[in-house]
Amino acid sequence: MELKANDLQIGYGEHVVVDDMNLNIMRDKITTIIGPNGSGKSTVLKAVTRLIKYQKGNVILNGQNILSMKPKELARTIGVLPQLHSAPSDFRVKELVSYGRMPYQKAFSGKSAEDERIVQWAMEATGTWQFRDKSIYEISGGESQRVWIATVLAQKPEILFLDEPTTYLDISHQLETMNLVKKLNRETGIGVVMVLHDITQAMEVSDHVIVIKNGRKYAEGKPEDVITSKMMWDVYNVECDIVPMPGREKPLIAFKQIV
Amino acid sequence: MKNKNKNKTGNSLLKVSTVWLVLIIAIVGVFLLSVMLGSSRLSLEQIFNVFLGKGTKSEYAIVMTLRVPRAVLAIIVGGCLSVAGSLLQAVMKNPLADPGSIGVSAGASTAAITILLLFPNLTYSVPLFAFAGAALACVLIYLMAWKGGVDPVRIILSGVAINSVLGGYNAFLQLQNSDNLQGVLSFMNGSFSGSMWQEVKVMGIYAVVGLVASFACIKNANALQLGDEMAKNLGVRVNLSRIALSAVSAFLAAATVSQVGMIGFVGLVAPHISRMLVGSDYKVLLPTSLLTGSAMVLLADTVGRSVWPGTEIPVGVMMSVFGGPFFLYMLRKRGNFNGA
Repeated sequence: MELKANDLQIGYGEHVVVDDMNLNIMRDKITTIIGPNGSGKSTVLKAVTRLIKYQKGNVILNGQNILSMKPKELARTIGVLPQLHSAPSDFRVKELVSYGRMPYQKAFSGKSAEDERIVQWAMEATGTWQFRDKSIYEISGGESQRVWIATVLAQKPEILFLDEPTTYLDISHQLETMNLVKKLNRETGIGVVMVLHDITQAMEVSDHVIVIKNGRKYAEGKPEDVITSKMMWDVYNVECDIVPMPGREKPLIAFKQIV
Repeated sequence: MKNKNKNKTGNSLLKVSTVWLVLIIAIVGVFLLSVMLGSSRLSLEQIFNVFLGKGTKSEYAIVMTLRVPRAVLAIIVGGCLSVAGSLLQAVMKNPLADPGSIGVSAGASTAAITILLLFPNLTYSVPLFAFAGAALACVLIYLMAWKGGVDPVRIILSGVAINSVLGGYNAFLQLQNSDNLQGVLSFMNGSFSGSMWQEVKVMGIYAVVGLVASFACIKNANALQLGDEMAKNLGVRVNLSRIALSAVSAFLAAATVSQVGMIGFVGLVAPHISRMLVGSDYKVLLPTSLLTGSAMVLLADTVGRSVWPGTEIPVGVMMSVFGGPFFLYMLRKRGNFNGA
């Protein structure tokens, strides 16, 4: 399982948002895309998952061009949790997660025993099974995010794409979501690609970090190699020290502007 | 977030079957009532005698050639309009969408008015032209809204524009021919007056085709409720689904307009009442809408033709006048509006 993007150019008409983008997403790894607002990081995630079109280049998934795949076939291989999603207020949690099985069903077919089994698996893996009968508006923001992740997980994808999964959450729910992502990756071997704003989280959970600036790749590699004070200055215009911390695997990021 | 402490989440099988059973009983009840009521009143006994082949000749004529076909047509038309509205609300993700917003009514009336006023010798083919006019107006609106895909807001806005142009044309034609508007008025205020088995047969065929297609769209309609990107992620072709759902909806609405004229409000109100009763899952919502629409239109027609002896209030008028207050009542009483 691997996903490659070659010389991707993405934009609208004359306006090019992302250019010369080459990506090599490895299976079993957590890859994080970081970059300033408007740098094109969500655009890249949407283009490689075919949520939006790209103008040039190609995206190859398991040796196959994604444009030649049927939508359902693609949906069985990769799962995307977009930043914006909604559900009618009367949907129950389990009902919502069941939609993850759509790529496996035909127009008139109902839920198979296997669908039921996988929905339960996805909900247990995300710790959402206990509130399966609640409305998605009766649970907290963090729980709701786990439910949506369960929905995408029920697609049984080989790679999970998450577009800013922590943006609207408070810190405890952010950490809860990051722990879940890490746990899913370690326990099920699912590949994860996500867009994050929080550099500290990117440092902590990623195996591989891609930095995007002005629609082009600035750097990529192991988080501790890529997230440096020079990169932070070049890309974000932020001064900081990257400080090793005894007792922790990853260094801390100490910002200088905050006084 | 607005429904934090409600316990109306989801549907038990019991709740859904109860709603369906009540609606079916209501339809059967009003059906019998509508066969009983009229210029000559019949008793239940007389009606059943006719059904069993034991009635008199005149009873038979009243029941089987006048009242039953009319009631059956009302049931079919109500169901079709309501399903058409439900589908369109999924397409637009907008609770205000109804077949009128994609040009069905304006297109059909433009064609019908043109024929009735300018080519009166073609009056017998008004249904055909009305259907074609409705279809053309829809296609035009979607072509105007297309920009690398069909965005609901663009559909609604180009619908507003096209509806306004057609509305202006219609108004002009009517002003120019203000002494000759009888046929136009009866088309614009849909009615089942004089309906025969022939209309039932034609409408029945349309309905079967349209409803089977609607039920094939259920999963896509549901997926659209989760947002476009989520639907795409689930392997749904979002643009194609929007167009297919719109086409089915337009087909059902255009079929009814062509057969009985314009009946407003059903496509808007019946789906919402259904949503309040059973929620937003189209697997349950669509059949419920079908039943609700049938019950509403049958009731409106029955009351409309029996409440004021000697006069018939067209079902379109009844729907507008009584549908609105009833809907407001539902909205305030239930309070759990599960947005489209």
